[in-house]
Amino acid sequence: MTSESVRDRWLSIGMSVLLHGSLVALLAIGWWHFRHPAPAPTPPIDATVVDARTLKGVGAASTPTPKLKPAPQTQPQQTVPPPAQPAVGPPPPTPDELAMRQQAAQQEAQHEAEAQKHLLARQQAEQEKQAREEQERQAQQEAAAAQAAEAKKAAEAKAAAQAKKLAQATKLADAKKKAAAKLAEQKKLAEERKLVEAKKLAAQREAEAARQAEAERRARVADLQQSLREEEQASAASGALASWQSELESRIQQHWIRPPTAQQGIDCILNVSLVSGGDVTGVSLGQCNGDDAVRESIKNAVYAASPLPPPPNNIAYPHQLEIEFKPTN
Amino acid sequence: MRPTPRAAALLRTFLAVLTAACFAAPAARAQLKLEITSGVTHPVPIAIVPFAEAPTDGTDVADVIQHDLVGSGRFTELARNRMPATPTNAADVKFQDWKAAGSDYVVVGQVTPTSGGQLALDFNLLNTLTGQSIARQRFVGTVASLRNAAHRASDVIYQAVTGIRGAFATRIAYVAIAGAGADQRFQLVIADADGYNQHLILQSRFPLMSPSWSPDGQWLAYVSFESHLSAVYVQRVLTGQRTCVSMRAGINGAPAWSPDSKKLALTLSGDSGHPQIYILDLSTQHLTRLTDTPAINTEATWSPDGRSIYFTSDRAGEPQIYKIGTTPGSAPQRITFTDEYNAGPHLSADGKLMAMTTRDDSGSYRIAVQNLTNGDFRVLTHGRLDQSPSFAPNGASIIYAQRPGQGQAGILATISVDGLTGLSLKPTQGEVRDPAWGPFIQ
Repeated sequence: MTSESVRDRWLSIGMSVLLHGSLVALLAIGWWHFRHPAPAPTPPIDATVVDARTLKGVGAASTPTPKLKPAPQTQPQQTVPPPAQPAVGPPPPTPDELAMRQQAAQQEAQHEAEAQKHLLARQQAEQEKQAREEQERQAQQEAAAAQAAEAKKAAEAKAAAQAKKLAQATKLADAKKKAAAKLAEQKKLAEERKLVEAKKLAAQREAEAARQAEAERRARVADLQQSLREEEQASAASGALASWQSELESRIQQHWIRPPTAQQGIDCILNVSLVSGGDVTGVSLGQCNGDDAVRESIKNAVYAASPLPPPPNNIAYPHQLEIEFKPTN
Repeated sequence: MRPTPRAAALLRTFLAVLTAACFAAPAARAQLKLEITSGVTHPVPIAIVPFAEAPTDGTDVADVIQHDLVGSGRFTELARNRMPATPTNAADVKFQDWKAAGSDYVVVGQVTPTSGGQLALDFNLLNTLTGQSIARQRFVGTVASLRNAAHRASDVIYQAVTGIRGAFATRIAYVAIAGAGADQRFQLVIADADGYNQHLILQSRFPLMSPSWSPDGQWLAYVSFESHLSAVYVQRVLTGQRTCVSMRAGINGAPAWSPDSKKLALTLSGDSGHPQIYILDLSTQHLTRLTDTPAINTEATWSPDGRSIYFTSDRAGEPQIYKIGTTPGSAPQRITFTDEYNAGPHLSADGKLMAMTTRDDSGSYRIAVQNLTNGDFRVLTHGRLDQSPSFAPNGASIIYAQRPGQGQAGILATISVDGLTGLSLKPTQGEVRDPAWGPFIQ
């Protein structure tokens, strides 16, 4: 949110408060006049018009409630007795008459005084009534004003709260938006980095694969050459190997005295250790389904055949033989 | 990028494994595989060194053992004069010397007196090829039982090397004919399987025939003509107690014990004159007739499971072997088809082989064996008149009666079931016939 928009917002709030205040004041004045249509004599309205400008920049909580000055107590008007009117016409009274007159005058004066007194009392009562009414009116007015002020204050507070809430929401939304934007930015960057890395890795792999393929190709070629060499050697040796193998088998068969229990179906593996001279140095029976006599006989066969005939020159002497005894009849 | 220490360690390990694999490969290639599909049936060379013996009745234990083993056809002996030494303890045996002398096995032992006045026979069977002791055992008994102890040592050695239970410490029964003319006597004799240690259990002026061992070895059944007519008796071997179980009209012959020792198969002719096969229940004397043909049916022998009887019948003209179920009403089935004459069947204990007397094209009577599973038929002997075969309880040998030449007295001989090794039993005075090999002695 920019500072400009904040300022505008506050200005509009101030204006609104001023407007509402003015309206309330006008309403109060109007109501007061309506209730007291020009009492005579109309007490002067001692009110201070609040300048809206004085509210400018003031928060709702600190906004001073515009005070209507209470109307001053209406003072009972000093009744001035009317001036004595001069006598006109009749002759001067006798002393009796005078006395009588005086007495009458006194009585009259007394009556008048009493009347005056009643009037005064009545006026006083009237005044008191007025004053009471005025007081009530004023109290009501004050209450209304206070109520209005309270309402205004509440409205202002609500508005301020709303504004604050709005501001906060806006702020939060902005923050979220900002964070999302930042995250998106980061993500984008990460993806870009990742892409770059992947491309780099792919390139490395490709290079490695190519290198490996080349190495394998070379190895294959080498293997092929080796195989060819071995094949050549093997073909030369295979005849000799087969012949030697046959010689070994024949020699062992000649020494295998088959016990009666070594019938077809017997299958025994004997692992034989040799030294270069062909001497059997050890035998170890593997899987064997024969009885003790069969087991004994096949061990004997190999030991009895020892030393075994040596291999042809081009064949390395095996130091281990695996012999399967499997009579076919 | 520099490798981390961990990566470097992994790399080193990988290289080490790779290197090891590279070196291991040629080693693996160096292992040669062979396959042995046949062998030889040569006798196993063995040296039975004379035992160190306390003074005895003169029995040469080593000689008895050697005679047993060599007579079985499964062993060949190293003559005493070729032995490199005469050890009597395993510790004194130098294997190389005996191996060099050609013996795969050496038996050494002693006979020593025990504190109880008996004799102890100790022996040890050593493998000169592997340098290991294969079997060792001690038998204790009286002086009179020394030969039997030697036979039992033979049984142990035979089983250790061949895988088959030895049957040297078993007995045979046979009929001997002593004297001539008015002094002629028929004798029922029991002896050790090698013919020694003979015991006469019955003697009669009248013919005795067809002895048969009960499977438990306690009884002998036989035919005696002592009452001028044929009759079947059963006799307890140890006590001599005997009972006549069949003295019916006509022929009473060829008794054969059932595997459970409770019944006898007999040949009875009754008044018809046609011998037939019957089963006699020894406890109830109940007779069950199995055959019913106007022909000779005789020489019954039981299958090991007791469900069948094999017998000789000439219902087809010449004698042949037939098989019939032991339940009445079973139909007989011909078993032999080779040669014109096959008679006197006897089955091995496992029921796989049947021995018989066969007459070949030359007119000679010989001992033959037929495999009851595949029908293979093999003539084992080469005599002129060989008959009455009886299997050893281990099925490895057959005893039979042999008449060497015209006018010569009959003798007993054994032949291995492969026909390779024959042995004449100890010569006896006079004629011997009808041998029957007894069961294993428990």
